[in-house]
Amino acid sequence: MSTEQQSQEAHGGSEFEREPVPQSKLLGFRSFVGMYAGEHTAGTELMIGPLFVAAGVSAYDVVVGLLVGNLLAVLSWVFLCAPIATRARLTLYYQLEKICGRKLVTLYDLANGVMFCFLAGAMVTVSATALGVWFHFEMPALDDLYPNSIGWVIAVLVSGAMIAVVAAYGYEIVAKVGEVASPWMVLVFVAFGLVGFRQFIDATGAQVASVSDVWTLAKTHICKGGDPLPGQTKFTFWHVMFFAWFCNMAMHIGMSDLSVLRFAKKSWYAVASGAGMFLGHYLAWLAAAILYAFQLHQDPSNTKVLPGPLAYQAAGLTGLICVIIAGWTTANPTIYRAGLAFQAIVPKAPRFWVTLVTGGIATVTGMFPAITMKLLGFVALYGLLLMPMGAVIFVDFWLIRKFGLQSSYAERSGATFNWAAGAAWLVTLAVAWGLVKYAGLQIFFVSLPGWFIAATLYIGLSVVYQKKLRPAVAEA
Amino acid sequence: MRTILIIVAVLSLVTLMLPSILFLAGRMELDTAKWIMLLATVVWFAAGTPWLWKRAN
Repeated sequence: MSTEQQSQEAHGGSEFEREPVPQSKLLGFRSFVGMYAGEHTAGTELMIGPLFVAAGVSAYDVVVGLLVGNLLAVLSWVFLCAPIATRARLTLYYQLEKICGRKLVTLYDLANGVMFCFLAGAMVTVSATALGVWFHFEMPALDDLYPNSIGWVIAVLVSGAMIAVVAAYGYEIVAKVGEVASPWMVLVFVAFGLVGFRQFIDATGAQVASVSDVWTLAKTHICKGGDPLPGQTKFTFWHVMFFAWFCNMAMHIGMSDLSVLRFAKKSWYAVASGAGMFLGHYLAWLAAAILYAFQLHQDPSNTKVLPGPLAYQAAGLTGLICVIIAGWTTANPTIYRAGLAFQAIVPKAPRFWVTLVTGGIATVTGMFPAITMKLLGFVALYGLLLMPMGAVIFVDFWLIRKFGLQSSYAERSGATFNWAAGAAWLVTLAVAWGLVKYAGLQIFFVSLPGWFIAATLYIGLSVVYQKKLRPAVAEA
Repeated sequence: MRTILIIVAVLSLVTLMLPSILFLAGRMELDTAKWIMLLATVVWFAAGTPWLWKRAN
């Protein structure tokens, strides 16, 4: 059983939901390598690489920016998330409940569930683009906000319905398909890059005999830099670096992966996240970027970012199968997770129906290309939204007792809504919104100061809160 | 049997990669590469599924 499945079960209430993972259930390093490599080689990688090109990124900025950003992401897993996961060995939700209280965790669940829904919607969109290759209907353009053809709506509906029904029945089979497909999928992504690169050589007549020639081709034809496409934000080195670092912020700095890494025998096993970062968020993004850059090279007016046609022109049916499987195997657990998050809010509702409705919402959002075509901004927002709770957990675990305060205060006081944590979360988001709206700071950059704001607020507010609300249980 | 499956599965992955490398080197047409990749895909899922499915349990 994969670590992810175990963590799902844990949140679902069947295994170690409210107790530390016992020693006998800990997993080895290899389990985490496979899990991270599979989870981060998803259908959406085929959107992100092209969106970098659409954002006018230069070769140096994307190659070095991704290298540094992904390294920082791995370090965040290793030094922020894993040490807490392997000491407490609790799910994110139980850890949060101890600190924040049941009602605040419910609010967090709602935010988490909504974001998962949108993310799953983007994955459904990616799968639907593969159907467009077969059925030749009009597909959305880069600046489309609404569905633009009946064929597109039907394709998303069919893809989404299939994904939702499978997720509602329990996504175990899809998880297994994902595990089988994972090594194959990674290699297909690599093949995309190799084929795309050769197509560039043929189209430009470039002579490539050394690494320096490769770099010259990359600089002059693939990622030329310059102005972004209309409606896109210009990406520099800093944009790429922060995006790569924070696109999974909810998981590492936001501590979502406490639920996964609590099964790790050693804290350093979190370096396995490097498999996901450097295969999915480096190789796959660059390969997809090459395919899209070639499409623009062939026809500069064709700015559509459509993974299906991109994959098909590079690898034929294999590419299409890859897009469908990559979208399907990642949308399923995402819908399942969203369903679990919503079910925590309405615990009496059957999981089957909650997941089905969640899948329905994801399908409807998938029809609107606005989210998928603005995926870079959406992913940054997703990380930002959940990040403050990661700061709260970090402070509560490592620092709060040094200030003479108590950790896990909701558990000790019997509070159902820890206002110090809640206010730290919401005020941080309000400040971040203010920075974006009024200070002109882009969303990709607000999460870093946001973490420090959340941490400081949580300590400061806890001083007041813990004085007002005396603990019901004496400190051990 | 399991050993044979593993060998076939690994060879199918090698076969999957080879056409794109040969295409990059200018030694194979893209259409041929696409067909070989599809064949390798079918073999991977045929041989890799019984091998990895069990492990996924």
